[in-house]
Amino acid sequence: MNARKLMPHEEAIELLPWLINDSLSGDERDTVLDHARSCVICRRETKALENLRDSVKRVISPAPIPAPDMRNINARIDALIHRQNLGRRWLSWIAEFCVSPWRIAFVAQTVLLVVLGTAVLWPTTRNAEFTTLTQSQDLADGHYLRVVFSPDLTHARLGVLLDDLGLAIVDGPSERGVYTLATQNSMTVAERDIALTHLSNHRSVLFAQPVDLGAAP
Amino acid sequence: MTNASNANDLALLYRVGRGDRGAFSELYRLYQPRLYGYLRRLLPDPTTVEEVLDDVMLVVWKDARKFRGQSAMSTWIFGIAYRKAMTALRSEIRYQAPLDRSTDANAIADKTSPDIDWIRAALVHLSPDHRQVVELTYFSGFSYAEIAAIASCPINTVKTRMFHARRRLKVLLPALAGQAREHDRERA
Repeated sequence: MNARKLMPHEEAIELLPWLINDSLSGDERDTVLDHARSCVICRRETKALENLRDSVKRVISPAPIPAPDMRNINARIDALIHRQNLGRRWLSWIAEFCVSPWRIAFVAQTVLLVVLGTAVLWPTTRNAEFTTLTQSQDLADGHYLRVVFSPDLTHARLGVLLDDLGLAIVDGPSERGVYTLATQNSMTVAERDIALTHLSNHRSVLFAQPVDLGAAP
Repeated sequence: MTNASNANDLALLYRVGRGDRGAFSELYRLYQPRLYGYLRRLLPDPTTVEEVLDDVMLVVWKDARKFRGQSAMSTWIFGIAYRKAMTALRSEIRYQAPLDRSTDANAIADKTSPDIDWIRAALVHLSPDHRQVVELTYFSGFSYAEIAAIASCPINTVKTRMFHARRRLKVLLPALAGQAREHDRERA
């Protein structure tokens, strides 16, 4: 009586290539063969696979295998060993150097000095990356004003306003909408202040200040 | 592979791991024919084959100490060769495919008695993964479990790849698969 478990067809047909190359384990081989005996499809498939294997082998097997030439691989291994030896030499030199605690202390002290020196000498003051409304280099002579106009002020009305006050736009608008206005050269500080008051009270002016006053409010 | 030969292989590899160049030469001569044959069947250019073979053996030299004996040594070495061959195959396909794969698949299938060139052309039409499984099974004689170890994939993946490779070859080479008449009937 055959005690072997019957193998499902799908499983058996999958294993046929390895039945043909004779690499199935004993039990597995017998089970596949048992199935193939009673299965026409598997027998036909086995025959086809043998046919395919033999043909494919015939096609590709004749490629001549050259005699082993180890010159290239030996050169690569030599280079590899050379690199490894170089690394080892460095490591052993470091290990040798670090044997004395005085040397370690010297190296540590040097590193510390370099770090401290760098920290002390490194420039720490940096120019501000922002601007203020009153920030200016050459405008602080009393003839210039910083003004922010309301967005609803039309170009025409702006022109009229500036003409009335004897002012002219010399710069702007900045990213924040600030204009720099210049007064006429003949204008005194008192006249400028009157113009400034007029500007400050105008409903279309949000902010007005002389450049030489200092920080923004 | 017998236990004795596996033990000899392991002893040889142990010596290689200790930097024994003589042992490495011995190992090289032992595996060169099999590896060359394996790579030559997969890669069309003999110069590439020799380069890849040297790449494989250089990895063997460098990693001999890392081999833990979880598989047969031949499986380990072929695993390295598999990965190197896959890289080379993919770049071959990328750069030389228009030449190698120019043969129309239908034209291959139309041949009732395929000759050498037609079989070669049919094999080129398989994907690198499928070709590798066909090669490792039919030429190198590995079991499906060994191929799974070589390709670092589950056993079922090996079986599936073989299934697809067989199906593709049947379509490409019906005469070889013993299906010429059926195929002719279908086409008629």
